Formats: sequence, C-alpha cells, structure tokens
Amino acid sequence: MTSMVKANRIPTGSRSVVRRAGPGVWSKRAGRVMLYTLLVVFLAFFMLPMFWLVITAFKTPVEYGSWPIVILPQRWQWKNFHDAVTRLRNPTYPNAALRSLGLAALNGIPDVLTSALVGFGFARHRAPGRNLLFTCMLAMIMVPGLIRTIPTFVIFARLGLINTYWPWLLWGLGSSPYFVFLFRQYFAGFPKELEDAAEIDGCNRWATFWRIFIPNAGPILAVCSIFSFQGNWGDFFTPVIFLKRRQATLAVAMADAYTDPMGNQMITLTLAGVVLFLIPAIIAFALGYRYIKEVAPTSGLKG
Amino acid sequence: MTAVAQASLAQGRQRKRARNSRAKRETLSFYLFISPWIFGFVFLEVIPLLVGLASSLTNFSGLFDPKTLKWVGAANYVRAFQDPDAVWGLQRTGVYTAFTVPMGLLLAFFLAVLLSQKVRARGFFGVCYYIPGVVPIVGSSWIWRLLMDKNFGLVNAAVSAIWPGRAINWLSSYPMQVLWVLSLWAGIGGSVVIFLAALQSVPRELQEAALIDGAGSFQEFRYVTAPLVTPVIFYQFVTGIIGSLQTAIAPILLAGVKVGGIPPRGSYTYMVHVIRQNFSLSRFGYAAALVWLLFVLILALTLVVFRTQRYWVFYEFEQEGGKAK
Repeated sequence: MTSMVKANRIPTGSRSVVRRAGPGVWSKRAGRVMLYTLLVVFLAFFMLPMFWLVITAFKTPVEYGSWPIVILPQRWQWKNFHDAVTRLRNPTYPNAALRSLGLAALNGIPDVLTSALVGFGFARHRAPGRNLLFTCMLAMIMVPGLIRTIPTFVIFARLGLINTYWPWLLWGLGSSPYFVFLFRQYFAGFPKELEDAAEIDGCNRWATFWRIFIPNAGPILAVCSIFSFQGNWGDFFTPVIFLKRRQATLAVAMADAYTDPMGNQMITLTLAGVVLFLIPAIIAFALGYRYIKEVAPTSGLKG
Repeated sequence: MTAVAQASLAQGRQRKRARNSRAKRETLSFYLFISPWIFGFVFLEVIPLLVGLASSLTNFSGLFDPKTLKWVGAANYVRAFQDPDAVWGLQRTGVYTAFTVPMGLLLAFFLAVLLSQKVRARGFFGVCYYIPGVVPIVGSSWIWRLLMDKNFGLVNAAVSAIWPGRAINWLSSYPMQVLWVLSLWAGIGGSVVIFLAALQSVPRELQEAALIDGAGSFQEFRYVTAPLVTPVIFYQFVTGIIGSLQTAIAPILLAGVKVGGIPPRGSYTYMVHVIRQNFSLSRFGYAAALVWLLFVLILALTLVVFRTQRYWVFYEFEQEGGKAK
C-alpha cells in the first residue's frame, strides 16, 4: 500500500523530460496497447481455468459430456451444489468440512502463537547460541517435507498417534520456521525505546510480549494465520497418510470423483463440491491480500 | 584513597554482577521464548531425521520384528543407483525443475515489470494473477484435468477448431507438459506480487539520477532497477528449486490415481517413486534412503546456487568479508 503511494508521488511528466528525443505519440500509444494486450492475455490464462471450473459445475452431465462442447449451461444447475453437499458419504460433506476447519484451528492457532513467541525470542534477546540456533532454524526450511514425514509416520505409529488428531496439535506447538522467520523480521523492526518504556513501567518480558508486541503485530499475525489456514485447508498429503479414509478432510474427499450407486463418476457434482471447497480459501486470501502484499516481500529483501 | 578505590571497586563489582545477572536473565528469557521451537526442532525434526537415517541402513518394512529387521549397511543406497525407476524419476524431476523454475521466474518477473508501469487497475491484475496460487492442489488438478480432458476438454475444443477431428490425450501422452502448465498457472502469481513490491521499493532517486545522467530507460532498468531486485530473484530461485525437486502430489492427482499409485511415465517424478516405495510397497528403509539422497542433492544444489550469488546478486550493503562491488 505505502509503496504504491510512494511510486505515484513523482509527477508523471518527470521521466519523459529527461528522455532523449522521446518516441512519438503513435508509438507510445502502440506501446500502451501492447502492454494492456499482454496483461489481458495473462489475465485470461489465470482466470479462464477458474471460470471454466465454475461454469462446468453448473452444467448437467449431458451438457458436460457433449461434443462439440457447450460453453454455457442452458439452465444453471444450482441443484448440483445442493447434491454435492448432501450426497457425499463416509464421511459426509459437512463432516469432512468440519474436520478440515477443526484441524486448521488445532494446528494453526498454536502454530501462529508459538511462532510469534519464538520470533520475539530471536528478535529481542541477546543470548549465547542465538545465531547458531537461528541458522539451524533457517536450514530446516530446506529439508524436504517427506524426509521428515516418512519417519514421523513410523514414530507416530509406534506411539499410537496415527488416526488421531494429535499430530496436528504437536506440529502446531512446535512452531514453523517460516512463520518464526516472518515474526522475527517484523519484531526486529520495533524501536528499542518501546521495550525500555515497557520495562520501566514494570512489564517483564512476558508482559512486554503480550501488551506491546502482539497488539502491534496485526499484519504479520494476519498473514501467518492466512498462510496457515490455506496450508491446512488445502493439505492433501498429511491427512491421507495420518488419518483413516473415514476421517477424510474435505481436501481428501474432493480428490476422488463422486460416484453413483452403479459406480459411474458424477463429474459435475464433484466439481460443484470442489467449487464450494475453494470458497473458504479464496475468502481467506481476499481478507488478507493487503497484508500479504505488505509483509511477504520482506521475507526476501532482508534475508 | 584506598577506601575510595575499594569503594569504587566494590561498586564496579556490584555493577558487573548486576550486568551479569541481567545477561543471565536475558539468556533465560531467550531460551524460554524459543522453547516451543526447541521442542519442535528436537522431536519433530532432528529425531525423525535421525530415525530416517537409521532406518535407511536397514531393511525396515514397517514391522518391528527383531527376527526380520536387519542392518543392511549401504545396500539401500547402492540399490537406489541401480533402480531404473529411481533414476528415471530423478530425470523427470530434473526436467520438471529445469523448465518450471526458470520459466516461472522469467514470466513472473516480466509480468511484475509490466505491472510496475503506469497501469490502470494494477491491483485488479495483481489479485487475478495471484488467485490461482491460493487454489489448493486438489482443486487445481481438477481444473487442469477438466481443461485437458481428451473428449470434453476446452483445450481440445480449441485444437479441433484449428485441426478438425483431432483429439489429443494430453493427460496420458503429455503429462509432463500439463504439469508444467499447472505449476506455472499456480505458481507465478505469488512471485509477481513479491517482484512487484520489490520493483516498487527501488528508490526513485536512483532511477531519476540514472536518467538525468543520460541513461536510456532500458539502460536505467538494466543497470539500476534490475540489480536492486536480484536478492529477491535469488530468494525465489532457491525456494523454487527446493520446492520443485519435491513435486509428487500434482502428478498423482492429475493422473487421478491414489497416493502410492503410478501416474503416466512422463510425470513419474522422483518423489512419486519414493511415495510408492514407502506407502504401497512398505519399503520404509529403501524409501528413507531415497529421500536422504534427495536431501543431499538439494543441499548440494543450494550450496552451488549460493556460491553463484557473487556473480549476479547485488547486495546494497557490504557483506562481511566481501569485496566491494
């Protein structure tokens, strides 16, 4: 947001003044046309597939299966969405959706909070071993997910944690390196005076964290919560591995096509289910886009 | 005099002690604050890694049966090099990474440059480019299965308009190409937003100065703006490589097979092979060896990429011990 304001502050004419004998009006206009054409072509590349999914979800099976293809449904089949929610079995659609939400909360809430704590620890303390530990933490971002998941599966199976929700809580309590990194970058930018003032007012470290740092960490809390929600909501692999089929999350349930009693695939219903499944992810993104724009780049710039 | 000296000495000691105890308290507080991460690091990272390393040296198949569980030394690692499917998978992963990472960065950077011009509705374009990135993989694989379907797909509809009667079976004949398109479609938007923010944070004064010194706008971009965003490109490059080398879920879902199943040959990536060894064939020991090999490869590649930094990445502030640029 701020960077955009800054970019627009310079009067628009200032650049062309210093340009050598500027291109004529026509070529400038041609340039604009080129620019917008390219932008719109890419817009189509990114958005058409989304539209095609949504449109197809509104079709009848006959319209879906006809050739030459039918672009728009003759009558928009709102019923598909009703059926998508009511006709899923083992687990039912609401059940799977609730499980997705529950796991997202079970993992996401502790994850964001512990990451904030750890980020504060790294950002606002001087202690022996700090830099070494911070390097260790960053190095963990490089470790392939599966190299951890496979043995974790074996260990958790030994501990009887497979087919339970405990793994999500444990991962949450252990914080995430990437979030810790974001929090650390954010908290490192706070003025020292703020901390000193809090200390003079009688705050200990814990109180300083909760009363001074957390209330001023809105954007980064929002970004981490959104990333965490999206990660959990869209996660397909972990629930497949760690839970029974009956405990499928919505992401897992939506990976297979719905079938009718004869075993035929019901694609349009499946797609309606998929569209409903995407809505929370897109809402979360819409709520947090401005914070993402603000925060995400710093992860690369100050690395 | 001695009394004064003693007094000041005592005072100094006291102050030192106070400073010491303050430092101690700060250290204690530090370790308390990071204790969640230490818990996670030890129990959810290091121990699993070591268990994985240990099991990669055994014939572990998921059963803790002392009669069958055997130490096999490096046999699993040797086997990996002789396993044609593992080699094939690695080659496919290489093909995937070598295309999507540079191509994704190039397109994202290009789009960010376009959007950093005076563009109306910049925010709108940015949001629309980003949206595919928030679609979970289960959704995006459905979308591309739909578009690339042999009989009812939109892409084949376009193909048959140009070339009547032609129906290409994209998903089974060109699975790698579909995978490329999917990953570009889903991955570019996030990078565009990051690049755009980086481009907009380049100080205007520098750009103006270059123009006043007689640089053309292309030269200004080449010698001022572009170098200043190389750290961001570098970061995206490294994370892109690390992510791409682990690709497994997209090929599985695009093919519509179960986890542990076999997608078409063309998109049979290394991690697909690993998952199959582990979860369908219960070769835990062997799968652990395969992932460790990939880890070593990622580590080596990352180090190489880090070493190339000095040739093309520009840091505004001197890095310690670095030469002036």
